[in-house]
Amino acid sequence: MDSRGTMCPGPITDLFRAYRNANIGDIIELLATDPAARSDTQAWAKRSGNQIQAIIDEKDHVRILIRVVKKGR
Amino acid sequence: MEKPTTIVVVGGGTGGTLAANLLAKNLRDEIHSERVKVHLISGSRTHVFQPGYLNVAFRNQDPKEMTRDENILLRREVQRIEEDADRIDLTAQTVILESGDKLDYDYLIIATGSVPNPDAIPGLKDASLNFHTSSEESRKIWKTIQHFDAGHVIVGIAGVPHKCPPSPNEAAFLLDDHFRERGIREKVKITFLTPYPRPYPAEPMSKVVEPLFQKRGIEVVTFFNVGSVDPLKREIYSLEGESLSYDLLIMVPPHRGADVIIKSGIGDADGWIPTDKNSMRIQGYENAYAIGDATNIPVSKTGVTAHLEAIVATNNVVSWIRGKKELYKYNGRINCPFEMGSGKASFVVGSYDTPVKEIQPSRIRYAMKKAFARFYWRTLSGNWDWLLNTYFGKTHEVEPSNGSMVK
Repeated sequence: MDSRGTMCPGPITDLFRAYRNANIGDIIELLATDPAARSDTQAWAKRSGNQIQAIIDEKDHVRILIRVVKKGR
Repeated sequence: MEKPTTIVVVGGGTGGTLAANLLAKNLRDEIHSERVKVHLISGSRTHVFQPGYLNVAFRNQDPKEMTRDENILLRREVQRIEEDADRIDLTAQTVILESGDKLDYDYLIIATGSVPNPDAIPGLKDASLNFHTSSEESRKIWKTIQHFDAGHVIVGIAGVPHKCPPSPNEAAFLLDDHFRERGIREKVKITFLTPYPRPYPAEPMSKVVEPLFQKRGIEVVTFFNVGSVDPLKREIYSLEGESLSYDLLIMVPPHRGADVIIKSGIGDADGWIPTDKNSMRIQGYENAYAIGDATNIPVSKTGVTAHLEAIVATNNVVSWIRGKKELYKYNGRINCPFEMGSGKASFVVGSYDTPVKEIQPSRIRYAMKKAFARFYWRTLSGNWDWLLNTYFGKTHEVEPSNGSMVK
């Protein structure tokens, strides 16, 4: 999900849209420029039991990789 | 005589109606001399002030007070086609109507809005009341809460994105008001459910909402992406694996793009049109624009944004027709009225470059919200933007364009 250029709640909204359509084992890649994207995604992953695989600081944005390991009905 | 330039506006909501009227106003001479035609395609003759659904649901407002005949709202220079568009072919520059008739255009503005979609979540349609799909559905909420004397009410967001971002929070505040006025608040538990990390998605406004929810005893459950609902067990389940029991459920459904956009294959997976967030042009097309809820741009889906985007899109069309080559660029200004109960309201204010501000609720802002609602019908004429501009301040930039002329 490319959320670069969007402010909160853009990145987390895009993450949830991707999560809704994801299957267990999928990796969601979130690109964001909003500083809140990092902490919001970490908080959501901790609460939901999903895994942050990597948070990579690129030149002008952050790239967050989330592995979907938990998804209810 | 040369064939007139044809501008087609698809959709007769806030953005479409204003866009058609602005084109008619700004191209009046060209239309009267038959050099330009402006068509508005809209099958519905009734124009609804959709934010009014909140008052139908929680204040027993008569739905008739929030509707007008679309034909009365349009300038006489606009030729309204009273049927819906079935498909849009951006490459062929044609709109195919439900009757099968075709309408070729030189310039297109799509304002087809968003569609609340309770069917997207298993069980939601049967389990939950809502105030987004229609005035009839909103009316059901009022009738139900009159007879609700005790129990657990869950109110909140069932899916994102949705139109009018403050509306789920507003519903929680107005439910609290309702049960307090009836003297039964201590018998009713109110829980606000949201997929976001905080009671309001934008943190500065959440700092305003959170203490008010605490003060009023409205509990908040965050990171709850609704996966399904069991209407028989009265339980709601999150994709994250949590569940909650309820006695009354009032959830804002997830939204999608309009059928015509999905059918035409010009939207993303959810039917939102890829649109340049500044020029309002549909990506890859110089003569086609999208405004309002229909777009994928990262701003609130509200009437105010549709209004401001209509100004930008129509100015660009007029500029191109007149060969001025000026490019108008929307700056992402938002201004969402936000009712917080007890006769007070705030506004969610920001832009692409200015984060949302923390604005405390007041009675004056509530009066302003009510005044905006009454003023709504006049704003659709396009005659009052000088006044709105005084309030909104800068909403767009104008710069020279190097783009080629379409016609």
